[in-house]
Amino acid sequence: MNSLKVLSIILIAFTIFAGITVPMAPQPQSIFEFPDIPGLGETARIIFFHVPAAWVSVLGFLISLYFGFKYLRTKEYNYDIKSVSAAGLGMLFCVLAMVTGSLWAKFAWGSFWNWDPRETSIFILLLIYGAYFALRSALGSDEIRARLSAVYAILAGLTAPFFIFIMPRVIGGLHPGAEGDSSGSIPIAQLKMPLNMYIVFFTGLVGFTLLFIWLLNVRIRAVSVEHQLLIKDQ
Amino acid sequence: MNYLFAIWAIVAKDVRSELRLRYALNALLMFVVTSLAVIIIAFQDSELNPEILSALFWIVIFFTAMSGLSRIFVSEEERGTILVLQLVASPSAVYFGKLIFNCGLTLFLSSAVTLLYVIVFPTFVIQSLVIFICTVFLGSLGFASASTMIAAIIAKAQAKSTLYTVLAFPVLAPLLITVIYATALSIQGDIWSNSIPQFQIMIGYLCVVVGFSFLMFDYVWKD
Amino acid sequence: MSEFLSQNQLYIVLIVTLFIWIGIVLYLVRLDRKISRLEEQFKED
Repeated sequence: MNSLKVLSIILIAFTIFAGITVPMAPQPQSIFEFPDIPGLGETARIIFFHVPAAWVSVLGFLISLYFGFKYLRTKEYNYDIKSVSAAGLGMLFCVLAMVTGSLWAKFAWGSFWNWDPRETSIFILLLIYGAYFALRSALGSDEIRARLSAVYAILAGLTAPFFIFIMPRVIGGLHPGAEGDSSGSIPIAQLKMPLNMYIVFFTGLVGFTLLFIWLLNVRIRAVSVEHQLLIKDQ
Repeated sequence: MNYLFAIWAIVAKDVRSELRLRYALNALLMFVVTSLAVIIIAFQDSELNPEILSALFWIVIFFTAMSGLSRIFVSEEERGTILVLQLVASPSAVYFGKLIFNCGLTLFLSSAVTLLYVIVFPTFVIQSLVIFICTVFLGSLGFASASTMIAAIIAKAQAKSTLYTVLAFPVLAPLLITVIYATALSIQGDIWSNSIPQFQIMIGYLCVVVGFSFLMFDYVWKD
Repeated sequence: MSEFLSQNQLYIVLIVTLFIWIGIVLYLVRLDRKISRLEEQFKED
């Protein structure tokens, strides 16, 4: 576990360093230069941080779905704790992805928010999980709350991949990768990035995933200890 | 056979109790009339283009549904009849019974709104009737199915009506966007093949929501 | 001084970002240790 944490610290530090300092040149001469895309320029650096945030958010929601499912199967309260923690982290990174995305949008498209399909879908995702927490706060008993939020976590977790991966690719819009985008629908999967960018990008992706695991671990332990304290007092 | 009979019995019970007091029907109709009145007063002389008309149409239906459709489980909870229902029928029978009742209610609601819109707005002339009818039908069913499941989830919560709207809106948002777009197409008189993607989404939405609700209803219903 | 700052803006951004990241890491490590201490307290009871 500790090695995961140290690794995540190092990887993200590397991503920050390389993502910011490696210069961009129209024709990259060596591995220490990124290509300069005419429309994006320096703003393309956001890809190292914005995409991993969105990925980690979906990861959080899917893990929340998994633990919700396990709770319904076994009725162990620990699974409910794990499900909420994952959902909370998913929300956090969803907000981060939205904020970094809209900052980028200001530079790339001129305004902070455009109701582009991808922006709209991530906003709806935020509302769905906001509703999840509203539901939890409105339910009194531990057991009922765990059961109902597990059902809702499954429903919401099923919609998350749809909103992040499917909907923005099918409906035309401004965001890279939408229908009608000449540069192809999945720039990352279609290997459109040069190798050195790929390395930095994947380092960031792995680093953020490990960070997520660390954050999840800390959160679950904190809530569990709190819960144990409550039980002890009774 | 017993299963179908149970579903039918639940629908019949709800219809009968509804006709007795007409509480939900009256509330829904009053809501529609008042929101329509506000719209008329606001848009007295302005030209209403198809997109605005379509959006207003579905906004009225959405908020009326939010105010009325949660009654289906909340009333059982308030009257204390949940235990009886749990004993008398299997969970999925209860679900389908309530779903059918809600579908009927929503179809009634959308027909009422359609009628009122045709009367009140001279520019609300639907040029492709087929698209419109299919959209309203599928949209109403989609609304009803999502609403039924969420009504079951919030039945035991506090602050039910606000929670209901908070939960239902994100779940209904994809459907809402699709039907508003399709209705705008039907007012403009578009051809059938242009609206096929919207119908695919509507039918897909219906299948996913009903399928998911059917699978998960047991966990929500029983303790 | 200001000319140095305006020429090396990129590295200033880098250092600020790394500072923020180090701050977050230190906070996380502190939290982690606090929770470990609490968990050990529970094991003892």
